[in-house]
Amino acid sequence: MIKIENVVKKYSGMERPAVQNLSMDIGEGEICVFVGPSGCGKTTTLKMINRIIEPTSGAIYVNGVNVLKQNPDKLRQNIGYVIQQIGLFPHMTVYENIAIVPKLLDWKDDTTKKRVDELLEIVGLDPEENRSKYPKALSGGQRQRVGVARALAVNPPIMLMDEPFGAVDPVTRSQLQNEFLRLQKKIKKTICFVTHDIDEAIKMGDRIAIMEQGNLVQYDSPENLLFNPNNEFVEDFVGSDRSLKVLNLLRIDTVLKKDIKTVATNNDISALHHFFENNKKKRAIIVDEDNKVVGYVARNDVPKGSSSKGWNSIIKPIPATLPMQATLRDALAQMLQYDLGAVPVVEEDNSLLGVVDLDEIRSHIGEAYHEFGQDEAG
Amino acid sequence: MFIIDFFLDIANYFIKHIDKISTYTFEHFVLIIIAIILSLVIWLTVGIAIRNNLGLAKGVLGIGSFIMSVPSIALYGILVSVPGFGLSRRSAVFGLILYAMLPIVRNVYVSLNQVDENVMEAAKGMGLSTRQVLFKVQLPLAMPVILAGIRVALVMMVGIATLAVYIGERNLGSLIQQGIVRTYDDMIIVGAILVSVMAFLVDYIMGKVQKAIVSPGLITDTTDSSTSKREVA
Repeated sequence: MIKIENVVKKYSGMERPAVQNLSMDIGEGEICVFVGPSGCGKTTTLKMINRIIEPTSGAIYVNGVNVLKQNPDKLRQNIGYVIQQIGLFPHMTVYENIAIVPKLLDWKDDTTKKRVDELLEIVGLDPEENRSKYPKALSGGQRQRVGVARALAVNPPIMLMDEPFGAVDPVTRSQLQNEFLRLQKKIKKTICFVTHDIDEAIKMGDRIAIMEQGNLVQYDSPENLLFNPNNEFVEDFVGSDRSLKVLNLLRIDTVLKKDIKTVATNNDISALHHFFENNKKKRAIIVDEDNKVVGYVARNDVPKGSSSKGWNSIIKPIPATLPMQATLRDALAQMLQYDLGAVPVVEEDNSLLGVVDLDEIRSHIGEAYHEFGQDEAG
Repeated sequence: MFIIDFFLDIANYFIKHIDKISTYTFEHFVLIIIAIILSLVIWLTVGIAIRNNLGLAKGVLGIGSFIMSVPSIALYGILVSVPGFGLSRRSAVFGLILYAMLPIVRNVYVSLNQVDENVMEAAKGMGLSTRQVLFKVQLPLAMPVILAGIRVALVMMVGIATLAVYIGERNLGSLIQQGIVRTYDDMIIVGAILVSVMAFLVDYIMGKVQKAIVSPGLITDTTDSSTSKREVA
């Protein structure tokens, strides 16, 4: 899909080229993450693909066509571009921001309008509510979502993302990452993603390109990067806590317990007595008739006898739930933060998929080492 | 009693010479309209043309500052002596255009260069041409500052136009100038008040224009509770 061939970028007045003789292929539908310390040439490489920066020599092919031989404006209209500071146009509404490229391409008004609403839905913003807002009325996370929607406007096959989630708080970041991975499953774009955060790289990347001083040091799958680093630089960059990094790699679907017993609110409260008599568990997950999570009831809170207390008075809200795209690291973080032995996994509409618990994670990590980690035993 | 007499005298003068005064006001207005239209055409173009050229911008803005520091009466004196100008409306208009140079060109240049570089990069990265970036992004974002420059230029013109009576214009300045020559206080005061009212009006109208043209997205309004409440929910 994207082929980078012997690309060099030299800035005048600098001794060492910013990018030195780089060659690599990025496959269709893959997320390729460029990662490395600042000044390693990762952003320069990204920006040469849409010619925001012109290479000194070499060639870049997108779908077999050399980008250097194309009109740069036409080229960029077909490549989605998301930057860390987003760069929403403050004088335009959310609608106008997203509709810019469709308007440049002379789309009909009703086609554009449909597309904008569709995109807002995709990135999780209510079109009715947000369409006519100005960027100043949006939170950081919402702006980032609009930025992604804008980049997707004309459905470009390629997206370039320069630290797209760098400017939001850690909670929102992890949420945006999960959402983006879910979105990518549907849209299957070829994505070049720049970050300086190795954890993010491992979580997001199908392939990771580690760069140092303008050179590509290792271009590999996250697993290989963690367990077979090419050299000392990669090893150091990945860090000594590789075992923790693995947690970014493993998704919770591998440890999800699906057949879990719950109590539904359309039953009588006596169902709770029954539940706790047959289970050793301290808490029961409570769902409504549509299997949507409403909260939990602790063993000690169950009313004795046939009390007339209603469900509402004994159900407590669950402090944390996880989406299917979350990693084991997300799961462990939630467990530690809220002191939970298990976290429910829910779909977008809050319906229960299953539960992740600590014991399962522990045994699974052991297996994972067995699988990848030839050298890890010693 | 003295105060009342004073106002009565002024009102009396105003009513008695209403024809002459309306003509002067109209002439004053026409002069400024011609000057501002030409100024906009010339100085907006110049400001846009020099936006990416620091050296040229320094030179142009230097000339603007120099003109601004020349006293208007002296400038008109010089213009009158230039062949082709002489004692004519042409000189009056040209003088006003020169004084509008600094506030308009400077504000256009500065505001176009102050547009957030991330916004510029996003625009370029989306495939907008240089021209589209200028008209769709830079100019709308620079508009509040550009309009502020035009506002300053206009208010200044209302005042400087009064001095154009020395080179043949007949406008509200004539009331002041003749009043001084004839030591006719009522005449001076009526002229002065009307010039001030006109400056105030021009300023007020520009305020309205600004509200109509500038995007609501650029106005920082912390009392906008409707949107902030919704965001919480």
